[in-house]
Amino acid sequence: MSRFSRSFWTRVLILVLAAPAIIFPAGCLFYIIMQGIGAWEWSMFSIGGNQKSFGMSSGIWPQITGSLILMLGANMLALPVATGLALYHQLSATTRQRILMQVLLQLMQGIPPIVYGLCGLVVLVYMMHWGVSVLAGQVILAVVILPLLVLNTVHAIERVDRGRTEAAKSLGLSHTAIIRRVWLPETWPALLTGLLLGMARALSETAPILFTATVFSGVVWPDSLFSPVTSLQSHIFYLAQEGGNDQARGMAWVSAIILITLISTLSIAATMLRRMEVTHEHRF
Amino acid sequence: MWLNVAMRLSLILASIGLFVMPGFLISASFPFWQEQGLKPLVGAEWFPYEGLFGMLPALVGTLWSVGLALVIAVPMAVAAAIMTSEMAGKKQRNLIRFGMELLSGIPSVVYGLIGLWLLLPWLQSSFNLLSGHSLLAAGILLSLMVLPTIMVMAEDAISGVALEQREAAANLGLDWSDRLFLVLLPQAWPGIRAGILLASGRALGETIAVMLVVGSMDRIPDPLYNLLEPAQTLTSRIGREIGEAAFGSIHFSALIACGFILAIISVILSLVAHTNQRVRV
Repeated sequence: MSRFSRSFWTRVLILVLAAPAIIFPAGCLFYIIMQGIGAWEWSMFSIGGNQKSFGMSSGIWPQITGSLILMLGANMLALPVATGLALYHQLSATTRQRILMQVLLQLMQGIPPIVYGLCGLVVLVYMMHWGVSVLAGQVILAVVILPLLVLNTVHAIERVDRGRTEAAKSLGLSHTAIIRRVWLPETWPALLTGLLLGMARALSETAPILFTATVFSGVVWPDSLFSPVTSLQSHIFYLAQEGGNDQARGMAWVSAIILITLISTLSIAATMLRRMEVTHEHRF
Repeated sequence: MWLNVAMRLSLILASIGLFVMPGFLISASFPFWQEQGLKPLVGAEWFPYEGLFGMLPALVGTLWSVGLALVIAVPMAVAAAIMTSEMAGKKQRNLIRFGMELLSGIPSVVYGLIGLWLLLPWLQSSFNLLSGHSLLAAGILLSLMVLPTIMVMAEDAISGVALEQREAAANLGLDWSDRLFLVLLPQAWPGIRAGILLASGRALGETIAVMLVVGSMDRIPDPLYNLLEPAQTLTSRIGREIGEAAFGSIHFSALIACGFILAIISVILSLVAHTNQRVRV
């Protein structure tokens, strides 16, 4: 007993506690992938003909494009507003305004997405008579990812050496010139990282679009911004509700691995960009 | 010039959103508060068609599922954070970190699938239950979902402890476990705490996964520690019923009120999390 010190036992305890934290999530991921591969059928992707799965005559493509439409729309709506807010925060805001903005953004980030979904349901779907529509979903998702984008841009600009910004200002450069010549060259990897993370986030949210933008089936391609879509996320949910049917299960797992592949492609790209940013900083 | 206009425009847009959202939450839930007062907060019966809107079962369910998730996830996540930051090499550390970031990207609906088709059957057979739908299932699933959040923040906090502190502790002749418990963890605690609060906010607002496994039965666990029966949380109630409640009805208004309560709890949580951080830094 005395051969082993207290530190030794502490280490053992920590390893024992930590093991499930690594094993269970990894096991889950493995399980999802195995289920997905097991249920994978190329006919799920064939357009036309195949009527096997719930009237989805065009395979799973409507769900994939629906998810992508919602995600891209949300980012296109959120990006300009986020950039504007971040620039205001950095260029024009007083210290008190900055603190206020930061606090409000962090609060926004903490509010559950389903609450945004409820607001969207009341305001956009019912009061503005948009109905269950693509646009409502895009706007709601844009609000959900807005704080992430603003805070990311603010942090990116704050990491720029203050001396350079001051130097640029004392040289009499305009705000536009500072942004273009000083900030943009140094922060673009971080900005792109933020955008990719925003996209990943928009793809992974289900609750806020479930009752504001998506329907189970019957939509192949939304006719306008005011018609409903189908999306991978909500499709998985509806299939899970469907329950026992093996066909539904298989379809759900396949949709799940497609969704995870999309999301992790985005987040892996984000991680690589972040690494690039680190090496970029070391050059100076 | 155009830059200023653009900045102002986005500022105006954002502040409209900022006022519109709580405004509509309050105004849409107002008929409910007006009709029912604060009585629903302590009522145990939820039968929308008979005008009974007791929120206590959902509140208790929410509390239990979040608490359970934290009890399961926090020790494991902190231990894993200590392991990666203090015991693992740089390569392993990067690998684990990468894995965690990947895991935190798994959407909640996919966790819901795992809960529904892997966790529930397992619970059902091992506890001999009718369906497995239970608060325990929700707690376990939530703990899986918040684990990466806590771990990443705890790891940042622990590896952020200053080198001087570590060297001073080593020079005092403290052994590894003393250094860990007397120096590293106390120093890193504000960061770990913020991680835990952030995670509880996430668990609180998680909808889809919880909705699929919790069973959606408006019953206060009886006895209170009975976690093996179907129950209800605030989010699962909103998710289940918002589709069938007619806009403008008192039922709809009651569901918005549930969302309003959720928003208030989460605002308090994030205020606590961030205030504490700012004071300490």
